[in-house]
Amino acid sequence: MKKVMIGNHAVSWGVQRSRVEVISAYPITPQTQIVEELSDMCADGRLPARYIKVESEHSAMAACIGASAAGVRTFTATSAQGLALMHELLHWAAGGRLPIVMADVNRAMAPGWNIWTDQNDTLSQRDTGWIQLYCETNQEVFDTTVQSFRLAETVNLPVMIILDAFFLSHTSEPVDVTDQEVVDEFLPRRVATYRLDPSDPHAFGALVRPDAYMEMRWQQQEAMRDTLQRMPEIDAAWGALTGRRYGAIEEYRTDGADLLLVTSGTITSTARHVVDERRDRGEMVGLVKVKMFRPFPTAALRSALAAAERVAVLDRNISPGHGGIFAEEIRSALYDVPLEDRPMLFGYVLGLGGRDVTPAVIDSLVERSLTADPPERQDLWVGVEL
Amino acid sequence: MSDSTERDITEPKRGGRDIPPIAVSRTTTEVNPTGSWKYIQPRYEDRVAPCNANCPVGIDIEGYLYLLGQGRTEEAAALLLEENPMPAVTGRVCHHPCEDGCNRANLDQPVAIHSVERRLGDIALASPPPAAPDPVRDERVAVIGSGPAGLACAYHLARYGYRVTVFEAAPEAGGMLRLGIPEYRLPRAILDRQIERISALGIEIRCGTAIGRDVPWSELDRFDAVFAAPGAHVGKDPRIGDADNAPTVRAGLEFLKEVNAGGRPALGDHVVVVGGGNTAMDCARSALRLGSEVTVLYRRTPLEMPAIPQEVKEAKIEGVKFRFLATPTVARSRDGRLLGIECQQMMLGPPDESGRRRPLPQEDGRFTMLADCVLTAIGEDCDLGFLPEGIEISGGVAAVDELCESTTARVFVGGDAADLPRSVADALGSGKRAAIGIDHWLRERAGEPVEPLDLAGLRFGANGNLSIARERGTDPLHRADPVNEVAGWESMNPAHFRTMARNEDHFHAAGDLTASFGEVNFGLSDREFRDEVARCMNCGVCNRCELCLIFCPDMAIHRREDGEGFEIDLRYCKGCGLCAAECPRGAMAMSREES
Repeated sequence: MKKVMIGNHAVSWGVQRSRVEVISAYPITPQTQIVEELSDMCADGRLPARYIKVESEHSAMAACIGASAAGVRTFTATSAQGLALMHELLHWAAGGRLPIVMADVNRAMAPGWNIWTDQNDTLSQRDTGWIQLYCETNQEVFDTTVQSFRLAETVNLPVMIILDAFFLSHTSEPVDVTDQEVVDEFLPRRVATYRLDPSDPHAFGALVRPDAYMEMRWQQQEAMRDTLQRMPEIDAAWGALTGRRYGAIEEYRTDGADLLLVTSGTITSTARHVVDERRDRGEMVGLVKVKMFRPFPTAALRSALAAAERVAVLDRNISPGHGGIFAEEIRSALYDVPLEDRPMLFGYVLGLGGRDVTPAVIDSLVERSLTADPPERQDLWVGVEL
Repeated sequence: MSDSTERDITEPKRGGRDIPPIAVSRTTTEVNPTGSWKYIQPRYEDRVAPCNANCPVGIDIEGYLYLLGQGRTEEAAALLLEENPMPAVTGRVCHHPCEDGCNRANLDQPVAIHSVERRLGDIALASPPPAAPDPVRDERVAVIGSGPAGLACAYHLARYGYRVTVFEAAPEAGGMLRLGIPEYRLPRAILDRQIERISALGIEIRCGTAIGRDVPWSELDRFDAVFAAPGAHVGKDPRIGDADNAPTVRAGLEFLKEVNAGGRPALGDHVVVVGGGNTAMDCARSALRLGSEVTVLYRRTPLEMPAIPQEVKEAKIEGVKFRFLATPTVARSRDGRLLGIECQQMMLGPPDESGRRRPLPQEDGRFTMLADCVLTAIGEDCDLGFLPEGIEISGGVAAVDELCESTTARVFVGGDAADLPRSVADALGSGKRAAIGIDHWLRERAGEPVEPLDLAGLRFGANGNLSIARERGTDPLHRADPVNEVAGWESMNPAHFRTMARNEDHFHAAGDLTASFGEVNFGLSDREFRDEVARCMNCGVCNRCELCLIFCPDMAIHRREDGEGFEIDLRYCKGCGLCAAECPRGAMAMSREES
């Protein structure tokens, strides 16, 4: 079934097709339409789920944790300050190995108060133990939502689906809403390994002493490592059923490229146009899209980028006091490349607080990166300094 | 699914050490008796809903609303009829103080209890009449008066197994229900059927038989006990000023009796009704139906009117005019025909003994009103001349105790003839108390081993009326450790209730009312009735909502096997108090643990 829908509703439909059983959420712009549509679906019977209204995002995640611990498939959605308010419970979800799926609509953090897109809200939650998947189109949003439940339930880790405010959340695109039978074939009912069960009562989340705590963290890290394998497998399985797959990273016209752009989110779409124009003129410019940020696909990125002479990372985020966050992680990933082969890396910070990143902006960065000397600084602020 | 998700949490795992991937206890939590931590503990105990406590009849309103909410309509009707012999009547004419107490007023509006009672009463009326109980008692009881007090007493005594004879002075049974209340408020078919069902219990009702007029008091000697509930049938002196008034200045009650017996007197174009109570409203609306223009003259303001507010509202809608702060002083007539009345404008002074502000004449405030007829409704008195000497009369009514026992042995007096608010509900409650009193008195006299009545325990709350279900121990709801304390708003948890607008009765559109004495209030539709039942919050009483069970973090609350509520496992209850805090209706309380 093909429908024209906004990105927020693509999430809602993904949740509906995934037969989620409990939803708990608190509204926040620009996410609200996700749960608004879901509450309609719950009310009119399209989704026979329990919808729990709460008074804050902290409680929303708490309710999801409780429901997920009881063994049911669970979803919530939030954005920016709402995600920040959940912070403590994000650790509880991940440490409890609960396969909760959450959509976050990327919105800049306040102050200054801002409802437009950048990635600082989700990247601030980098170390909470959640898998993070950044989407480029509404179709990818739908597909990623369905995939996320299977991924989460396979590795027992929570998954964050991330989409850009307004550029995806409020923009309509055609979305193929996969038939229920196909989704059912792909995504079986959740079978919880650890479950709150009144007939077999156990204490969950209690004190763990130093002699065991590290082993639990180690197992969490093992699960993250496992995810690096599982995510592409699950993506491939979905691709076999629907013809659509995305990969943890995507290499776009990278063959023999001198310069590789690295992007995430909707900037990727814009960058594709620039790459196409340059390639069509015979210039050796390519693009690497990073979809999965946690676990970080270090090996895949290293092999994708090492052959290029130059790499330009476009970061719609900033780690204050350091640099663009994707750029720093990629710089770190390339450290194992022998110095003589290691590409020159430009870290561009741009588009914060929803500032438009146009083809002309990206084209100018391509031009600059092809010819400039090694950068003096790890963060170059586009539109501010450049 | 990967293998890792299917591993038993107690099995060894990767890394060679037996540590599960999450913090989960290997044993069950039952090894830890968290109950040993507590110093306060919950008490699961039901309280009394304010509607029950406010009901002069002593009806378990909350109880029948609960049963209705469960779809147990027959049981609901049975519980209602346990306490109230005529719900189809009270549902229509009671001033419903139950609703004044309703906690729901703090949330949105009170539950329309009267509408629900009316519907349930009508449902009961449509069922086959009850079988007469076995007359298991040998004693006979005489009841004087077949108004609500007399019939209630007869009804409860008959259900106790006594043989009861009711003496009624009027040609038909019903007392003030028939003589005083107009048909548009209480259709005669409803009253007739309600009385039929009462007499079906084996009660003999002898109409046209006034004690002292048709038969002497000594006729009652063959009865073991007497309950006298003659009502207040003597309208206060209607005369205005000192002069002899024209014949069209008359007592409102006399007029109502005439109309209610089928009379349709011509009152003339302009009728003035004096008074602000229910009799005044009944007079005004009846006169309106006879084609007159009607003005109610009341010496205080709308705030002090004793009439049921709904009656005042309906009178206004129908076209009755009101003139407040005014009292008639002189009636002017010529050739025996009334011309009009002179009136004094009043103002309110300091409160009088009734607590209402006393009306005082306003200087220079005189005016005249055109009137062809004046109906005065300024109160009624009792004619107690038929009672034997020895019964103490005080302030125009008999002196009786709570169980209606007079100062003369075996004679009980109630209804309007005792010192009570003059309402149908108070009369019904009085008749019930008399029945309990007479039963107890007769058993004692028969030498049966009876214990003194625990009146405080039989009352709903500290001040409510007595309950037959409590007296007989037949509460069908198995309330948990009941505490006879009213659950006020402070004991409720409003977070668990959502606002739902009250369903109001449907009324006949006010149009040409002339000669139309058909019922004006149509009550609620089926759906509104169900919605209204759902609005009841079951104040103070567990309705098995299970929130305590859901909220208990120790899973120490369990459903009882017999389905009648819950039990608390104190071995694991650690005394956190969540159950009491979350109980929407105050049926759970915390108290210090006994050490």
